[in-house]
Amino acid sequence: MLVEFQQALADLVSAPQLCREVRAEPSRLRGRYDLSDKEFERLIAMVNHPGMQCNCMLYRANRLAPLALNLPRSCRLLGSNLGALLSEYSTRYPNTNVHFYRECHRFCSFVEEKLEQGLELRPEVREALEQEFSAVKLALSATSVAL
Amino acid sequence: MRALVGLLNNPVVPTIIRYAPGLVEYVDVIPDRLWYDFEDEAGHGERFHHVVGAIDELKQCGEGRVLGGHGIGLSLPSAMPIDMAMVDEVARLARELNFAWFSEHLSMFLVAHGSVPNSQAGLGLPVVYDDASFQIISAKLDVLKQVLGCSLLLENGAVFTPVPDTEMTEPEFLNRLYEQSGCATLLDLHNLYVGWRNGILSPTKYLEQLNPLCVHEIHVAGGDHLAGFYTDSHSGLTPSEVWSWASEFGPRFTNLKAIVFEFHESYFEKLGMHGIIGELERMHGLAESLAHGVKERIAS
Repeated sequence: MLVEFQQALADLVSAPQLCREVRAEPSRLRGRYDLSDKEFERLIAMVNHPGMQCNCMLYRANRLAPLALNLPRSCRLLGSNLGALLSEYSTRYPNTNVHFYRECHRFCSFVEEKLEQGLELRPEVREALEQEFSAVKLALSATSVAL
Repeated sequence: MRALVGLLNNPVVPTIIRYAPGLVEYVDVIPDRLWYDFEDEAGHGERFHHVVGAIDELKQCGEGRVLGGHGIGLSLPSAMPIDMAMVDEVARLARELNFAWFSEHLSMFLVAHGSVPNSQAGLGLPVVYDDASFQIISAKLDVLKQVLGCSLLLENGAVFTPVPDTEMTEPEFLNRLYEQSGCATLLDLHNLYVGWRNGILSPTKYLEQLNPLCVHEIHVAGGDHLAGFYTDSHSGLTPSEVWSWASEFGPRFTNLKAIVFEFHESYFEKLGMHGIIGELERMHGLAESLAHGVKERIAS
């Protein structure tokens, strides 16, 4: 089914680990998606194509881009914590938002929730997050409903 | 008719227009950048919230210029129903800004259980060029045409993993869309360059297969390297090969209406005002020479 083929392709692009699993054991695709033989063969060829690595990198880069552009201090100060937070965030919210401020709002809310649950961050990181989150909220509030 | 020269809209474009008003005749407007979509959140009332001032600024920029719509949100190749609320919102904007035509991407950005982050040009997933996809896309084009009431174009994407063993090649698929659905092509020459640099396709073979009459708009841009791949990041000046293909094949595009340079605003500092002005001047030179070439072809 085309809808399953498209879903499988999107899932592979967003998950390098799934790509590795499917390369090692192609039948995993059959277990997860309702694919015709041709669709299965196409996906196996695509997951083994060198360009799949680029797809996966672009997916990751494009998820990071809104945050890097609008939360630059927070990203810099989060340092080595950023990778793990971003991975968890991407897993929890696989459905991305094309609107950069909305993606940033969701990410900041996610980090706030993590802080409430005990995540420890240095005071300067928390301060940067608070300031940049406020700026994002302000930008989002500058909207009107009617054209 | 000479093709218009223009830019893909971003927050820097109004400044460029003020600096060099005579060089920008056309602006491609991405509707999705003029609103925030609150579809996934209850309690926001209306789904689409518009960025204050953005539409008024575009109206000012549009005075004496032609504006076209360039959507990224409808994901026409996706095997799922078209988002009618978004279509209606695009239609409201098309009326408000008087779009001369509307283009979308021949790439997949939405799937049933999620979306692919595009970041405007970074990543759309490839389409299976077969009859099933053709039926899905042409049915949605019919809806769009009815609601928008203007001509429609579809843009070839930057592909890193082509779908193997398809019924049609991409140019054959675009030719069929033109012949059977009346949908023209927005030919992104830089996306062909991306495919060529990554060993995916031969641009000359592609351009020889494409029906030249279907090309109504051309996009040029520059990209960047990422871990051994060349990407469509809209971060640089147009590579010389892209200009060569435009000069070589352009005279065949007798229906060409616009030539557009795409850059992302985050690279404005890198490109510089002079860099962008240089691209606009070069596009004007191309538009002039293509118009001259078309006249010669018609005369002969």
